[in-house]
Amino acid sequence: MSKFDSKRITEIHQHLHTHLPSDSALRVKTLESLLVEKGLVNGETIDAWVELYSEVIGPKRGAEIVALAWTDPEFKQRLMNNASLAIDELGFLGTATGHLQVVENTPLVHNLVVCTLCSCYPFSILGIAPAWYKTAAYRSRIVRNPRSVLEEFGVEIDDSIEIRVWDSTAELRYLVLPQQPEGSKSMDLKLLSSLVTRNSMIGTDRFLKINTRRKS
Amino acid sequence: MDGIHDLGGKEGFGPIEVDEEHVAFRYIWEGREWALSRCARAPHISIDWWRHCRELIQAEDYLNRPYFDSWAQTDLSTYINADILSIEEIKTGKADNSSTKNLPVPVKLSLEYLRKNHRENAIKFNNPERSEPSIKINQSVLTNRNGHSGHTRLPQYARGRHGVIHKYHGAHIFPDLSAKGIKTYQNLYSVAFEAAELWPEANGRRDRIFLDLWESYLIEVN
Repeated sequence: MSKFDSKRITEIHQHLHTHLPSDSALRVKTLESLLVEKGLVNGETIDAWVELYSEVIGPKRGAEIVALAWTDPEFKQRLMNNASLAIDELGFLGTATGHLQVVENTPLVHNLVVCTLCSCYPFSILGIAPAWYKTAAYRSRIVRNPRSVLEEFGVEIDDSIEIRVWDSTAELRYLVLPQQPEGSKSMDLKLLSSLVTRNSMIGTDRFLKINTRRKS
Repeated sequence: MDGIHDLGGKEGFGPIEVDEEHVAFRYIWEGREWALSRCARAPHISIDWWRHCRELIQAEDYLNRPYFDSWAQTDLSTYINADILSIEEIKTGKADNSSTKNLPVPVKLSLEYLRKNHRENAIKFNNPERSEPSIKINQSVLTNRNGHSGHTRLPQYARGRHGVIHKYHGAHIFPDLSAKGIKTYQNLYSVAFEAAELWPEANGRRDRIFLDLWESYLIEVN
């Protein structure tokens, strides 16, 4: 029998629906303990992966990329030409960024990123995706009425600005390069990167401020 | 497949929860599942087959259970399908090691090792030997009117619609066949669609929606 049989997977899901505990923590525990008991995974490696994405890898990396692109025109050129190569210079290449694309906001263009079919996200530069990015509400509406979504995020956008929504339907992943805020020209890289919010790199934030701390 | 996962343009899901706490994992089990998905997978699996197995989760569970919960269920389904786990073991939570055969030995990796070698996880899906586009930039295209019951990455909302080739990305693994265990490459393009071509209420809006689409999803038109 083929190992790629949709009907069989549907039947397995029906069994799982009936037999798995309802509590998510118990479901994951079931998977983890069976894999550990069977010698398929190593507990310490699991711990290390959790730590890597809790402590080391997160949206601060994306913010560093953005700040560098603002201040170094040659780096920005390399980033726009081949983003995967450019982030490799910084040691940020990794999970889901093998085919990274950078899309740049301008006074006339605003970019937004989504994955309507699953929840594709550039993990190695933005970390784990926020919960809202994975909801049916965001995935369904952002391609149809992006302006109403921006409004919910508190972003007012003029009708004259073109919105470009990037639906990640292949293995390309997208990073939005937000505009550098007015009055930040003299700041150093560290301060600049502290102005970059995670949402601005997905597109649900547009107007970065120079005197508020990062929130989301 | 025309499943519940194909959410683009569907209506009625209500407001978006925009003010969430900014943490990687809200619960410990989310982090465990993320890590498990990084450490092990069923043999001979492709990302496209895994995604298809996730799409096949019952609609009510797909919509209502938490995100990483659906990853755990997808992983479980692929291990059962590969005869590595059984429903019986999942019911009892006890491993029957008599059924374990020729499984890879897990490696113990430190945080430091994972950090240093993270770039090895940047998987390439393109064929570097193929970089000749067969459709030109700015060429008008029409997308296929129908999908099919297997895994595909042409969403319903963009079927039978006119767009314009925006960018060429080389030949990438074709997901519809990869989800059946067959590895082939096809030219991949970013295709731009006017909002008004996709949505009846978008008339007069200058917004555009870009999708990354494989050649066999597209027909050149004048």
